[in-house]
Amino acid sequence: MPGKLFKSAAIVGAAEADEIGFLKQPKTSLQLHIEAISNVCEQTGIPISAIEGVFSTGWSSEICEHLDLKPKYIDTTAVGGCSFEMHVHHAMAAIHSGIIDIALVTHGENGFSANKIGGRGAGNYSTGGPSSPSLEMTKAYGLGGAPSNYAHAMVRHMHRYGTTREDYAHIAKVTRDWATLNPRAAMYSKEKHPFGGPITVEQVEDSRLIAWPLTILHCCMVADHGGAVIVASPKVAARLKTKPVWIAGAGESMGHSNMLEMDDFTATSAARSAEAAYTMAGMGPADMEMALLYDSFTITAAITAEMLGLAPKGEGHMLWKDGRAAPGGSFPINTNGGGLSFNHSGMYGMPLLIEAYRQLSGTAEDGINGDKGKQTSAKTCIVNGTGGTLSTTGTLVLVADD
Amino acid sequence: MAYDKPIPSQGIHTQPFWAGTKEGKLMLPRCEDCNRVHWYPRLICPHCHSKNLEWIEGSGEGRIHTYAVQHLAFGPWQKETPYVTAYIDLNEGDRMLTVLKGVDPLKPEEIKIGAKVKVEFEEANEDTFIPFWRVIEE
Ligand SMILES: [Zn+2]
Repeated sequence: MPGKLFKSAAIVGAAEADEIGFLKQPKTSLQLHIEAISNVCEQTGIPISAIEGVFSTGWSSEICEHLDLKPKYIDTTAVGGCSFEMHVHHAMAAIHSGIIDIALVTHGENGFSANKIGGRGAGNYSTGGPSSPSLEMTKAYGLGGAPSNYAHAMVRHMHRYGTTREDYAHIAKVTRDWATLNPRAAMYSKEKHPFGGPITVEQVEDSRLIAWPLTILHCCMVADHGGAVIVASPKVAARLKTKPVWIAGAGESMGHSNMLEMDDFTATSAARSAEAAYTMAGMGPADMEMALLYDSFTITAAITAEMLGLAPKGEGHMLWKDGRAAPGGSFPINTNGGGLSFNHSGMYGMPLLIEAYRQLSGTAEDGINGDKGKQTSAKTCIVNGTGGTLSTTGTLVLVADD
Repeated sequence: MAYDKPIPSQGIHTQPFWAGTKEGKLMLPRCEDCNRVHWYPRLICPHCHSKNLEWIEGSGEGRIHTYAVQHLAFGPWQKETPYVTAYIDLNEGDRMLTVLKGVDPLKPEEIKIGAKVKVEFEEANEDTFIPFWRVIEE
């Protein structure tokens, strides 16, 4: 008997770049990608704008940005030459599950031309120049770490909505309050870290400037973290001793790769990824009882709350300012202490998942040192990860087992 | 003093832009089919996916879209802190990143979103003139 995915998707077109082989005029990997994409779309009659999922080794986000695509499915599996067969497999699964109907699998690699112009490989965009026109046009301007970029979003949000830096400082203060209930949090207490323990809004405001308007307490830490989760079928879940937390909805999207291409500095693709997740779940913002929001910076959390429909535009910070997000509040947010005060190693998506599992499985009470702990009574949780420079988003709607 | 900050390595399809900077011109890519200007330069129009692209000479004028003041920097930019970075809305459409001239980084509240700016070019080496933008009027 055939498997469940039998004939659930098909390859409907295939094309190459305009020129292949030992090119006299060297071309970049990106050029080879774009030519091939353009050709396969012409062959099939599918407009580039109709592509819903992009599968490539490495920087799918840069390819999407070049084409101004806002995909619903992004895959960058890069495990060697067989990656593209795997991309087809992943695309088939995405199509079978109803997330997308049209997937692009794309390759561009200037193995020969790279001898003259560099930039071999599909993901080697780090050098700028021939391989990345976006980096070519931005690398002269002194932007370095994440704060240097994110500060621009805060300034635009303040301009558009009349918010103030002090509004966002409440996010840092409340998130620290959660950390003081979590012995695992790096900033749990003064004993654990010299700058740990409770903080005030004034302290957030008066801390060292990193990239105005961001002071250091508006920024997440960079620490060490490792984590893992297991996703399984209902059949497997039924025979395990651990409680399941169900994935009711999931969605993903992106706005840009380089912040230069961020259309609206007060909005992220979380609006789209959340819409997909809510639709899959048959639920909406009003059904959510708590949230775990990637808080690389206070502004990230505020904008995300707005994008997820948890607060009106321009009022995301109010969830923290009026205490709803705080311990004991009606809508707990970032109950582990967040990237701001719990842990952030560079990529914070995994800690979001772990805390969501703990909260919804009733195991969030750390219960050491006699603390009252951080366990809430929430049965539903929206989780949103943000990557890059407010670039990419993944949203999950999770629900507790009844 | 020799220019000591990071200098972009130049692409292939972006050559008309860099050639323009040497003559004090801000060359911009425009689509011949939908007539829209885009930035950064693409191999295909990001708006309508046409491959019929041309270069036009831009006005070199625009307005501040948003900005930030960098107090922490890396490499050669360290000694320049604090300095103001900004995204510029071009009069022709779309947006460029810059380090903003003609503003006081210690008075960030006085910088106005929407302020008029004009481009100027700084020689980084004989092949590379880097565009920077200066506030000309609030
Ligand atoms: Zn066009």
